[in-house]
Amino acid sequence: MIRFGLRLTLAGGREAAVRLVVIALAVALGVGMLLIALTGLHGVSSQNDRYGWANSADVPGAERGADPLWWQLRVDGFDRRTVGRVDLAVTGPRSPVPPGLPRLPGPGEYYASPELAKLIAATPAAELADRFAGRRLAGTVGPVALPAPDSLVAVVGYTPAELSRRPGVSRVGTIATTAPTRCPNGCWSGIPSSGLQLILSVVAAALIFPLFILIGTATRLAATRREQRFAAMRLVGATPAQVSVVAAVEATVSAVAGTALGFVLFFLVRDTFAAIPFTGAPMFPADLALDPVTFLGVALGVPLVAALAARFALRRVQISPLGVTRRVTPRPPRAWRLIPLTAGLAELAYFVGRRPETTDGQIMAFLPGIFVIMIGLIVAGPWLTMAGARLVARRANRPASLIAARRLADNPRASFRSVSGLVLALFITSVAVGVMGSIAADRHPPGRGPNVASLFTLFRDERVAPVGDPVPAGLSTQPGVRGITVTRIPPQDVPVPEIPLGSYGWPDILASCADLARMPEVPRCAPGARTAWVWPDLAGPDDWTGTWPAADVDPALLPTMRAQSIVTLTDGSTTALETARTTLQLAHPMLYSPYTEVEFGVESAKVFEGWKRLANVVILASLAIAGCSLAVSIAGGLSERKRPFSMLRLTGVSLGTLRGVVALESVTPLLTAAVVALGAGLLAAHLFLTAQMELSLTPPAASFYVIVIAGIAASLAVIASTLPLLRRITGPEAARND
Amino acid sequence: MTVPLTLLGLIEREPRHGYDLKRDYDTYFGRGKPLSFGQVYSTLSRLARDGKVVISDLEPGEGPDRKRYVITDAGASEVETWLREPVAAEPHLQTVLFAKVTLALMLGRDAEAYLDTQRAAHLQRMRELTEIKRSGGPVDALLADHGLFHLEADLRWIDLTVARLDAIAQEVRT
Amino acid sequence: MTIIEARNVVLSFGETPALRGADLAVAEGELLAIMGPSGSGKSTLLHCLAGILVPDSGEILFEGRRVDQLGETARSSLRRDKFGFVFQFGQLVPELSAQENVALPLLLNGVRRAAAVAEARTWFGRLGLDGLEHRRSGELSGGQAQRVALARGLVARPRVLFTDEPTGALDSLTGEHVMDLLVGSAREQGTTVVLVTHEARVAAYADREVVVRDGKVHSLTAEVIA
Repeated sequence: MIRFGLRLTLAGGREAAVRLVVIALAVALGVGMLLIALTGLHGVSSQNDRYGWANSADVPGAERGADPLWWQLRVDGFDRRTVGRVDLAVTGPRSPVPPGLPRLPGPGEYYASPELAKLIAATPAAELADRFAGRRLAGTVGPVALPAPDSLVAVVGYTPAELSRRPGVSRVGTIATTAPTRCPNGCWSGIPSSGLQLILSVVAAALIFPLFILIGTATRLAATRREQRFAAMRLVGATPAQVSVVAAVEATVSAVAGTALGFVLFFLVRDTFAAIPFTGAPMFPADLALDPVTFLGVALGVPLVAALAARFALRRVQISPLGVTRRVTPRPPRAWRLIPLTAGLAELAYFVGRRPETTDGQIMAFLPGIFVIMIGLIVAGPWLTMAGARLVARRANRPASLIAARRLADNPRASFRSVSGLVLALFITSVAVGVMGSIAADRHPPGRGPNVASLFTLFRDERVAPVGDPVPAGLSTQPGVRGITVTRIPPQDVPVPEIPLGSYGWPDILASCADLARMPEVPRCAPGARTAWVWPDLAGPDDWTGTWPAADVDPALLPTMRAQSIVTLTDGSTTALETARTTLQLAHPMLYSPYTEVEFGVESAKVFEGWKRLANVVILASLAIAGCSLAVSIAGGLSERKRPFSMLRLTGVSLGTLRGVVALESVTPLLTAAVVALGAGLLAAHLFLTAQMELSLTPPAASFYVIVIAGIAASLAVIASTLPLLRRITGPEAARND
Repeated sequence: MTVPLTLLGLIEREPRHGYDLKRDYDTYFGRGKPLSFGQVYSTLSRLARDGKVVISDLEPGEGPDRKRYVITDAGASEVETWLREPVAAEPHLQTVLFAKVTLALMLGRDAEAYLDTQRAAHLQRMRELTEIKRSGGPVDALLADHGLFHLEADLRWIDLTVARLDAIAQEVRT
Repeated sequence: MTIIEARNVVLSFGETPALRGADLAVAEGELLAIMGPSGSGKSTLLHCLAGILVPDSGEILFEGRRVDQLGETARSSLRRDKFGFVFQFGQLVPELSAQENVALPLLLNGVRRAAAVAEARTWFGRLGLDGLEHRRSGELSGGQAQRVALARGLVARPRVLFTDEPTGALDSLTGEHVMDLLVGSAREQGTTVVLVTHEARVAAYADREVVVRDGKVHSLTAEVIA
């Protein structure tokens, strides 16, 4: 039976060959995307794990092991990029070696990642190389310790005597191998992988759905011929099982071809994808490695699913030996079809105010909701089409609208099928744009831009913060440095007046007004005051334009207090900033190097950009797939219309009316379902934002409307482009009795 | 043989004068070719001679026209037999079939059954002709085909009539 | 000996009744013509007899066993082994060659491809189809296609051959030729033939005819074959 099925599949003629090719291509696309998504899921977490070794000190029990190292993680920055740095000191022959290093660096040595080594060579020493205090570059940090190919990583060697004296160091006897799960004191890490995996899963689903629709539409091409063939077989006595075996073989052949092509596509595209920083940092191509399980699972699973789907689909459609001679009007879709859609929205709404604790819990909460909504749109589509058609029929007084409305109302399922891909694409687009747009709007509150010129050195641990003058020698005279202020922690016996300033509450740190006066662009002291209450970064709330409240403290006492921070105002140039940063960090080696406000923003901006890029890819891909789906189903629909329409033409219906029928038949379901899809998408986005991020939906920007209108216009164009074909198709030869 | 039987059938329907009989015949069966008076009266005499009709009371007046004819049992059974028996299946039987059907309807008999019987006879003849066609040579086939086509035409008429019986019955009985 | 029988068969399509208590008995080896105007239900009766449709009520018996109670798979295999079909059009598989179409019932029965095709080819000479073995159905004329269908109907040596308007789409001479071959081959193999037609000249090839009117079967001749 199977060989017979093969024979039938490969001998079908041009229409069948087109069908096979389209299905194979669609499957190839799907397999490619599936592979990227699956390997990406894995790659994200393996990339994340490569941050693990640097955070070894945070792992409970890390100090156990033979010859534990003296260890301090330092998160540094250079020119808006993060540098991950570990200062360590070897204590014995069995001290653990971090990954990526041939051996531990000695006291006069350091290892740098390739990118960092390049930067060091290309930058003036005062800005970068001096941070390694005259040490020799002993070699490169290997890829296994680098999250991204272009990561900046350094491992610096010290003597135990030097390092043990520093505040904030730990002992590390075991190097960690996975990403840190908790960072009580701050660590160097990427995005939590489970959050990313949630996004990737949703993305994969969002793309797989329209692909299924495309495959389903393509499967319906040449349906009449296939029905005839199966009916002939059934007449002669083929059992329904034998017929479904043939159909399964057909499906499997295109699935196998498509899967093979999909693997090729994956390998072609993999390197490009790895280089795109979806997670904020690009991945190594090896991160998207195809492990045997995934390979076998996809290579065998996809054809298997195709075969099963074909068997299942045929079971619902009992092929009668009499074929299509008797066409019964199918029953109209009922209103219950709206239930899954409303259920999905209700599911999302339920979680407003009930956000699950863990990311896995969140995945369980939101994914089903999004899926159910997508399924709900597909299920509700025919009913919406029928409702729209009935509306049009009531108001139809031209023959074209009447015919179109009746045909639609008669068989809304078929009409909706052609636009179902587009509907899903619009839903996905509105969800993506709604979510991303609102997050973006929240991130950049209008008004104050980030301050790029002010370098902020924060002494986080009060117990070891310096007293006296913490400003390193020579800093004030460095070119580009315009002012330096040290803020101090008030001792216990100085009461903090509770004078709220604007929305921040009240300042509780002291600073010298003389220092403040020398700092341009910083709020001033009250006239006559000599010390003032300030915040550690000398910045106040947006809506506050006053002066710092005066403090009743003798400025001469300030140097006796522990320093909270050093604010260094530069002219904003890279040279000034980096030189100042080098000087400051050499003087005060801590977990966090001096940083500017803009650097935090840059990190999360990179991630956000990555998500935006992903969202754009998803939107474009799903719109493209939907367009293909529409084109395929219109082509199929045209050949189905050949006979009835040529009959109509022969009886005197004008070509213009027929074109009107085709147009209305295609446009009505498109617009009705599009409106609902957009509404559902924006609503789903709003619920997601409210529940997950406590944001509300910002009205989408003009570009959203442009995309939507462009998408709908493109679909209308595809429909319109087939209208000229109508003349040729419904010519008199089509009405022959053959 | 049709005219006598047709007249007989008309008489069975109700006793008639000669002139009325001619008028009825012309209306229903004449089809543009009316019967001559001579034919009518000579046929009626022969029927009376054969005992199939009797002359009922004479009306006062002149001529054979004043006689009213009534059917006898013998006459009635002859009509019955004629109606019931199929005609030998020959082509060009429309006139005979037509007469039979119309009379059957007029007399309230089961026209459908008569038609079915006729149909069976036609088909039997067609079977015989088909066998000739299959086993004979090309010339035999030609002749057989000729017969077959005409028989088919008759059958088509029979089918149509069967389908129209109700409507025809209405018209004929009024 | 009655080979196939319908007893009081009732079947409706939705609201429309097609058969309202049809009774029919077909004797083994006979050629029976089922006639009637269009819409009378004669094709429906044939479909019921052949196990293609299941009546709403009534019985269909083949060789004494109930057919209407069998499941879809059992009825399919009955069609494969015991019945043959020649319909008016749309019955050949477009993707297969003529000889593969003829061999189809044997292939479905599990006969090996080589043997099935060899058996199929013997029919081509018998029905005057030499040289057409590898043509697709689209490349055959109407008469050739019907003869291929006839070969397919008879290749598995069925007990009953069901045929519905076999000459409907053919001109007179071609139709005659097909009927000749049909009757001749069936008689040779002793196959019973149930023939549905509205044309008297086609029905004249049969031994006996019945008429379907208003969903019931009427016998025209008074003979009853016991």
